[in-house]
Parts: sequence; C-alpha cells; structure tokens
Amino acid sequence: MILEKPLLPYFEWLLQFDKTRWGALPHFLLTLLVIAIATLLLSLLVGTVLYGPLKAGDKVYRVVVNGFRELFSLSFRRVWALARLAIQESLRGRVLIAVAVFVLLLLFAGWFLKTEREPARLYFSFVLTATSFLGLFVALLLAVFSLPNDFKSKTIYTVLTKPVRAGEVVIGRILGFSLVGTVLLAIMGVCSYLFVVRALDHTHTVVGSVLAKGGDAEGNLPETTSLDKGHRHTIQQDDDGHLFAEFAHDHDHHVGESNGRLVVSSPHETIRARVPRGGTLRFKDRQGVQVARGVSVGKEWGYRSFIEGGTQAAAIWTFDGIDEKTLHDEDDGGEALRLELVVRVFRTWKADINTPVQGVIQLKRPGSDLKTAPEFFSAKDATIDQRYFPRTLTDTNNQPIDLLDDLVDEQGQIEVVVQCLDRSQYFGFAQGDCYVRMKEGSPLWNFTKAYISMWVQMVLVIAIAVTGSTVLSGPIAMMFTVSFILLGFYREFFVRVARGIQEGGGPVESLVRLVTQMNLTAGFRGESETTSLWIMRSVDSVFLGAMELLANVLPDFGEFNATKYVAYGFDIPANQIAQQLTMGAAYVIGLSIVGYFLLRTREVAK
Amino acid sequence: MAATPEIPNSDKNGERRAREPDEAQVVVETRALSKVYRDFWGRQKVRALKSLDLEIHKGEIFGLLGPNGSGKTTTIKLLLGLLFPSEGEAIVLGQNATEVSKNERIGYLPEESYLYRFLNAEETLDFYGRLFNIPADVRRERIDRLIKLVKLDAARRRQLREYSKGMTRRIGLAQALINEPDLILLDEPTSGLDPIGTREMKDWILELRDQGKTIVMCSHLLADVQDVCDRIAILHQGELKELGRVDELLKVEDVTQVKARGLSADCQDEIRQVIERHQGELVSMENPTTTLEELFLSIVRDSEARPGRRIVKQEPTKQGKS
Ligand SMILES: Nc1ncnc2c1ncn2[C@@H]1O[C@H](COP(=O)(O)OP(=O)(O)OP(=O)(O)O)[C@@H](O)[C@H]1O
Ligand SMILES: [Mg+2]
Repeated sequence: MILEKPLLPYFEWLLQFDKTRWGALPHFLLTLLVIAIATLLLSLLVGTVLYGPLKAGDKVYRVVVNGFRELFSLSFRRVWALARLAIQESLRGRVLIAVAVFVLLLLFAGWFLKTEREPARLYFSFVLTATSFLGLFVALLLAVFSLPNDFKSKTIYTVLTKPVRAGEVVIGRILGFSLVGTVLLAIMGVCSYLFVVRALDHTHTVVGSVLAKGGDAEGNLPETTSLDKGHRHTIQQDDDGHLFAEFAHDHDHHVGESNGRLVVSSPHETIRARVPRGGTLRFKDRQGVQVARGVSVGKEWGYRSFIEGGTQAAAIWTFDGIDEKTLHDEDDGGEALRLELVVRVFRTWKADINTPVQGVIQLKRPGSDLKTAPEFFSAKDATIDQRYFPRTLTDTNNQPIDLLDDLVDEQGQIEVVVQCLDRSQYFGFAQGDCYVRMKEGSPLWNFTKAYISMWVQMVLVIAIAVTGSTVLSGPIAMMFTVSFILLGFYREFFVRVARGIQEGGGPVESLVRLVTQMNLTAGFRGESETTSLWIMRSVDSVFLGAMELLANVLPDFGEFNATKYVAYGFDIPANQIAQQLTMGAAYVIGLSIVGYFLLRTREVAK
Repeated sequence: MAATPEIPNSDKNGERRAREPDEAQVVVETRALSKVYRDFWGRQKVRALKSLDLEIHKGEIFGLLGPNGSGKTTTIKLLLGLLFPSEGEAIVLGQNATEVSKNERIGYLPEESYLYRFLNAEETLDFYGRLFNIPADVRRERIDRLIKLVKLDAARRRQLREYSKGMTRRIGLAQALINEPDLILLDEPTSGLDPIGTREMKDWILELRDQGKTIVMCSHLLADVQDVCDRIAILHQGELKELGRVDELLKVEDVTQVKARGLSADCQDEIRQVIERHQGELVSMENPTTTLEELFLSIVRDSEARPGRRIVKQEPTKQGKS
C-alpha cells in the first residue's frame, strides 16, 4: 500500500521551514506561541475589567513568572508518585474487567467471524478495531473522571497542599494512565495476535495414499483437499514431484507424508508484511518530450494523469536504492526484482469492456538508452499486476544484460517505463501506482507497529482528557474529549468547512439550509446582498476563523489507524511510526503546559 | 463552662510554659485578608471573611474560634493557597500564601480527612511522603513511627474506605506530620474523635508545640481550644471579634469561685456570712461536679488498668493520673 500523499522523510517532515511548508516543529512552536499570546491578552483584558489594569498586569505577570519557575522545578519522584496513584486508582477501579471483556469477545469471535475469502483481513480488522475502541474507551473513562473525582471528594486539597507543582499533577496523571493503558494494550495485543494466528492455522485432509504421491500405477492423484474453513485447495505437483495444495483463499499448503498417509501442512504466509518501495513519477507526452504531468481526462480528481496509447507517451518511475538486498530469492533458485503495478484504464472508444488494453513495461538505466526487451501485459482496470524481473535479462537488441550491473546506475537508481499500446486508449497513473516489492517485513513487528500507532492515539486521548478535566467536571470533560476525538476523526471535513472548500457554507449558513431544506449548492434567493445574508456570512466568517484556528491544533485521529496496513498485509513504514510518536510527544508537552496553567490558576477550594 | 484550668495530666501543664512563643518570629501574617465567594457569573454569594489582620508567632498554638460558618475554614484555606484572597494578602513562612514551595514546611489536616479511600494507611503515608521528595529509608522509618504514634498499627494494611471516622482523623494527622512541618494547620482536629482520641489529639498538639512547631487550629469546641491554645481569635460572620491570650481572656476579674473539700455545714455558713459581710454576692457554693468528659475518661482508664471489672460509680475525688 502506497500512501496517496507520500510520507516525507522524517527530518524534512520535522524541520522543514520555508514558504511551501512548515515542518512539524516550527508549526508546533508557532502554535504554542500563538496560544500563549492569545491567552495572555485575553487574561489581561478580563483582569482589567475585573480588577483594573495595574492589578491585572501584576497578577498575569506573577502567573507567568511562576509558571517558568515551576516548569524547571519539576521533580520526577513526585511525578512518579502521582503516576503510581493513578495506576493504583485504575487497578482498584477494576480496569481489568476491560481485559476480561476483551478476552471473552475473542473467545466468541470465532463464531460470528466467518468469511469465504481472505480471512486474515477480516480477523485483523476485527481485532485491531476492537482493541482500538476498547482501549480508547477505557483510557477515556479512566482519565476523564480522575481529576474531577479528586475535586469532588476534595482529596486534591491534601495533594495540592504538599509541595506539588500543578504540572506534576497533570503529567503524573498522563503518565500513570498511559502506563495502565500500555499494559492493557499489550495484553490485548498478545491475545489478538494469538487469536489471529490460531484462527488462521488449519489443515485439510486428503484422501489418498503415499502410493498416489508419485502418481500411482494408474497415475491418479487426489484432486482436492477436504473442505475446511470454508475452502478447499486443488492438489498440484511441482516440477520436482512434490505435492502442494494450490494457492487459494490467500495461502497454500505443502502436502507431505506421514505413516503412509498424505498430510497437509499448516498454511504458508497467511500473515504478511509486504514492504513497497515507492519511486518518483514523471511523464513523456505523445512526442516523447518530458512533461510534468500527463493528460487530464477530466475525471478522477486530478490525482492521476494519463498517457495516450500508441504514441511516445510514457510514464516513468525512478526508484532509488536498488541493490542485492532489493532482489528476492525465487523458488527456481534465481533472484528477481518484484514490481507491482496498478493501472487505471480510460477508454475513448467502446470496445468490449472485458478485453484488456495492451501495455508494455521496460526497465531502463537512467541517463542512457539501455532498456530491457519490452514485456507486454494486458491491463485490467485497477487490479494489482505483479511483475518479476529476473537478474539476467535481455536488452532491446536481444543481448543478455544483468539487472543490477547494467541497469542500475551509480546512484543505485533504476527506471521503469510504462507505455500503452492501444491507440486512443489511455493509462492513468499516480506516483503510488508502481512500486518495488522489498523483502518482507516481520509480521509480528508489523502488528506491534500497528499497536504503537494505537498506543499513541490512546496517550493522546488521555492527555486531552486529563487536561480538559483540570477545569471541567467529569461529564463535561468527557463531552469535551469525545468531541475532540470526533473532530479529530473527521478532521479533513472539518478543515474543508473551515477553509470554505466544503459546499454549503459555514455553520449558520448550513443551519439555515438545513431548516429551509435548501440544496447545498443552490444560491440564496436573488443572491443580492441583503442585510440578513450579510449578517449570516459575517457570523459564519467568525466561526470559520475559529474553526480554522482549532483545525491547527486538532490531531488527525484517522492517521493512527493502521488497521488497513495490517489487514491487507503491508508493512507500516517505520518513518510513519516515528512521526506519530513525535506528534504524540508534542501533544503531550503542549497539553501538559496548558493543563499546568489551567490547574494553577484554578481556585481549588471553590 | 466550668473554668477549670486543671487538666488531668497536670504535669504536662508544667511543661506547657517551658517554651515561650517567639514573639519576634512571625510565621503567619495576614493583612486585610478578605474573601468573597462568587458564583460562576461573578455575582457575590457570601462575604466569608472581612479584612482579617493576624500575626501568629513561632512556637505558639493559635486557635481560631467561632460558630459554624464564621470563616474559620476559609481562613485556613486562604493560608494554604487553596483559595485566592479577594483582597489583602496572607504571608506564610515568609512567602505569599499562593506559592507552592512554602508547602515544604506545612502540614495540613483538613476539616474532614480528604484521603484516597483505595489506599491503606501505609500507602497513604508513603504517597504523601513521596510528594515531599523524602528519600525511601527516611520515609519508611517515619511512616512506621507515625502509624505507631496515631495508634493505627493494627489497621495499617487496611484500606481507608474501611476506616471509622476517628481512624480517618488519625491517619489524617499522621499524613499532616509526614514532612515534620514547622507550621501545622488543623481544621477541627478533634471532630469525630472519642474522648480518649480527643485527649490524645490535644496531647499530640501540645507535644508538637513543645518541639517548637507552630500550630494553627480552628474549632468551635471551646473546651478543646481552652485546653491547648496559647492565643485565640474569635471570628463571627467573617469578622474578628476577639484576639488575645487564653488565660487573659478567660480570667473573669469580678468573680471569685470558692471550691473546697471537707467543709462542715457550719463552716459553709460561716463562709457565707463572710461574703455577705464584704458586700459580695454568692453565686454558687455547692459540691463540685465533674465534667462528663472527666468521668468518661476515668471510667475508661480504670477499666484499662483492671480489665474485666465493671465500675459502677467512680468517686471524682479519686481521679488523677493512674
Ligand atoms: N465554596 C464555597 N462557596 C460559597 N460559599 C462558601 C464556600 N465555602 C464556604 N462558604 C461560606 O463561607 C462562610 C464561611 O464558611 P467556613 O467554611 O469558613 O466556615 P467555618 O467557620 O469553617 O464553619 P464550620 O464551623 O461549620 O466549619 C459560610 O457562610 C459558608 O457558607
Ligand atoms: Mg470549617
């Protein structure tokens, strides 16, 4: 799975600082600064109204100076004491019930999870979604009611009359609940993995004897295995005479013998972690001239661009870092470069829709004319086509060439050229549509990475909940956190509304449309600037401004969902995990600072 | 209120004057301290404290007295920084009351013991000890000593949710002493305690004072205050009504109370005549009665000394330190 928006390299993502894009770190610092200044001005304003400018200035000054002083007098021992308290609170609060519920869920899951195809996908989606939600839910409940309960039972009085800095209360809580959540996720993760592995493991029985193995006197082979787990395999014999159960249902089996009977092994590679390496894409137009983009065929969303068939037009990917390690050992003993290609086909004349469009794919040495002999393929729209290029190939003049020695240049780059052969038909490509399959990653580690993503998300929810609950009562803090999470999940939509891209206008306008049952795209009557229209738009623009600001601090919760990767058997890029961990840390730091000031300025015994 | 200055363990009373409060060292100072409780919209609800000026010196036991709702707890919370003053300021141990670092040297026993009910006595003290950054070995030793001091040794591993009110008060006190504070703020220390507990609490307070600590306590139980406090302030509806040394405040100049033992009826008549002769007015002259507290104490003390024996009546004159 190649991301539509390719991941930036970690340090570029973090530090980039120019006109086109602000990296995560500058963005974070700017956000902190803006929040700080806005809060400062607001509190000065409110203070001036309440106490007059001098006293307000004095108070604000004290809070700020105190804040800096207390920031540097954080004591880890106290933080740890408070974290332990949070842990004890959770354990005595029977958090383990959540684990029990989860285990029960898994025990019974086998009953209702039935599928005809790709069981791994289903099982992984199920366990990952279940843990994600259960984990979030438990973390939320623990974190959001803890501080409000302390205020309600006034236990906070005995804590805050010790030399405890408000920041330590916030950080201690976040740390404690995160640890509880970590253990919870770990337990659920281990259970889930075992569950999936066990659920996928199966064998079949084959009726037949060893005699049959080499083809008995009559040459009869058993035809198929038994029907188990909703599928059966046909039995085949490879060149060496070994029997195997043919690939079906996302896996195959060996067939061996034991005590004179045929025995089917456990399935192979039911859980995978494919590693795709993406390249950069450029195009040539019909005259064979380099262009930035191909042709737009006026559909899709501008994401793919198209090359015309029967012309010089080509899509060219450049892949980096191709060496020995990139090649796979094949069953026949050789090595091969594995490519996968997804083609979108756009037809300008209606042929039989089922007749594939012909294309050609070649490997090329960058900066030279050396190319492999064209390899033809028939493209079906939007299916993944796997191409294997063995180490020894022939060039366009039928001379033998070596893939690594001849086609890969000094920088370790290789080019893949794809053209469409049928006239007036088009192939559409985006950068992510062709990739090199690298060596498989470890499925277990991949699964762990999915849990790390989930973990970051959980810590984020805990941090939001704890920060919110420094000033809000339990239920309100809960609502606050839940809306934060929901907005986070629908961040994209939210940002589109805020930037005015989404049809239907801002909050007030869409409310008006909702009440009057007006179409989203319809203009208002007369479209002339009536006063009411003007008021509506002005109020909306204030709302939209606020939303835009909020969008800047809203985490994108959708990003933490790695279910797709694991379910479809793709490796989660380590870079993505690193970015998420960094982002999580940034949120925890930012929220702790906010939480500190909220708690510090709160009149505790009120 | 019978104004008996004698308390049962009178030898304690002898020590009582051993250390005089250090007038020069001001531990707590409030200047025009006021508190107005407001609701969410900033509307005034209650004026709980009106322009309080106080100075509390090192080594004294200072009592805040007053009926319910007179602002005692409010004052203590202001001193702790749990509330922010509406006007004026409170200086505690030389720092503004809202500073956190002053808490290093403060112990606080809240009105009700606000402790985590899911912890047991040891865990509770350990937790608060950690908040003071006390190293592990010191912490362990102190926890042990404090648990023994407040007589919770038998219940040290039980969760606080199972504790009775008196036990909760005891662990509350232990919690307040975990950092060996210089200033101890006690909000109604004797509430919920049985007479023995009350007695013990008062003894602890005196002992702490003798160790040179400053104690501010509030209570509306006059007897308690009178027993232990050096100076008191009486609050009523948030206003300071009276401030001074207890012995001076309690001295009623124009009343003489006669109390004697073994007088015959003749002798009593004679005394009556003497008072009449001097134009005095006899307020009362009768056989003294003991207070309920004293009676209860002596019964329990006796039953502890001779377990099993049931005491029906105890001659008040026989009481003393056994
Ligand atoms: N959080 C609060 N919000 C509003 N009013 C309050 C609050 N706390 C106390 N008050 C009011 O302030 C006044 C003083 O209360 P305070 O608790 O200081 O009294 P107290 O002297 O400690 O009484 P008690 O002997 O009953 O403990 C009371 O009128 C009370 O109703
Ligand atoms: Mg009170």
